[in-house]
Amino acid sequence: MKVSVVRSGGFAGIERRGQSDTDSDPVLRGLLSRIDLDEEPDSRPTRIPDQFIYEIIIDRQHLTVGESRLTAPLRELVHHVLRH
Amino acid sequence: MRCAIVPPHILERIAARSDDPELREIARRSLINDAAVRTERRLSVIAPAAPPGPSATPNRTIKDAKHQEDLPGQTVRTEGGPASGDATADRAYDWLGATFEFYEAAYGRNSIDGSGLPMISTVHYGQSYDNAFWNGSQMVYGDGDGTMFGDFTLPLDVTGHELTHGVTQHTAALEYSGQSGALNESISDVFGVLVKQYHLGQTADQADWLIGQGLLASKVQGVALRSMKAPGTAYDDPTLGKDPQPADMAHYVNTYQDNGGVHINSGIPNHAFYLAATKIGGNAWEKAGKIWYETLTGGQLASSADFAAFAAATLATATRLFGSAAEYAAVRDAWQEVGVTQ
Repeated sequence: MKVSVVRSGGFAGIERRGQSDTDSDPVLRGLLSRIDLDEEPDSRPTRIPDQFIYEIIIDRQHLTVGESRLTAPLRELVHHVLRH
Repeated sequence: MRCAIVPPHILERIAARSDDPELREIARRSLINDAAVRTERRLSVIAPAAPPGPSATPNRTIKDAKHQEDLPGQTVRTEGGPASGDATADRAYDWLGATFEFYEAAYGRNSIDGSGLPMISTVHYGQSYDNAFWNGSQMVYGDGDGTMFGDFTLPLDVTGHELTHGVTQHTAALEYSGQSGALNESISDVFGVLVKQYHLGQTADQADWLIGQGLLASKVQGVALRSMKAPGTAYDDPTLGKDPQPADMAHYVNTYQDNGGVHINSGIPNHAFYLAATKIGGNAWEKAGKIWYETLTGGQLASSADFAAFAAATLATATRLFGSAAEYAAVRDAWQEVGVTQ
């Protein structure tokens, strides 16, 4: 399963992208197993100026989440994928 | 070190970049003293117009997140208390003071909400955290990753930018998406650079009009994050990419990222402010800044205002403040040049 993350916003307004695949990334497999996409997260826009906005694509599911609404498992996931 | 001899911008560079902590501290103190002297000098001229009564004073608290992402963190410095000994925390304290002083002296505004709101900053947020933000009630700064970005407390205009988000929140409350969001961003850039220009005593033609100068790590190919003078030219780097800001409506960027490109299209009103301020000349906070400030805080601007609505509002403010004089013409020409008005 492929996971991509696009981080936009932030004071700098500089976009960052990362992508990884569970086939070659066992850590990603572990991180994904902790995420329940049906319970994940409130994606209504938060209006915190200059916070990071994460667009997370897991398989075919799209989420757009402000940093302040990332759950702990999702936070670990985006940090991991952006390092790739 | 005599502050009269070393120009403030050199002091600032030393304060921010010197490898010698003692030298940094000396430069930093000189900058603060220098700014205080210059403010006194200005106030002695401006004083008759200032409202009567004792001038307002800031109420600052600096907290340390100790590299966690939990707010607000542990208090390391309070108003009037001793320095913490941590350069980042003490710089955050000084920059809150400089921003408070700017709003008070330039526009008679008592803190972020106009009513003496306590100013709180959390430093050392997260690990290698490449951002600073206003969370609705306080400032948050990361240390940067050290490879692309340095400590976000370094440039004064970052603090000015973030606290201005607080001012906007308490006044026009511009919605943070699309054109009203880009205006929200632009207003933070405008007053961010004005805080710095006021602190350094720079006129419009002396200023660099850069946002985040001194924040990029030395190996990054770029001078800053944004340029109000020449949007789109601040950096061009293999890792960071190229500064995506347009300078006019012909190059407006439609995107769904970043709340509709609020950090991208802010280049257009940023450049309009630069054009108006340099055309008017002198200290940019006194006339162009006053027009923008009164437009933001005057109660007439809709929270959903687009560029055209904001341009019209600045023209109405310019007429009210200055009649149909050179100031009005400068603002009118600026919005025309960036293609917001015909």
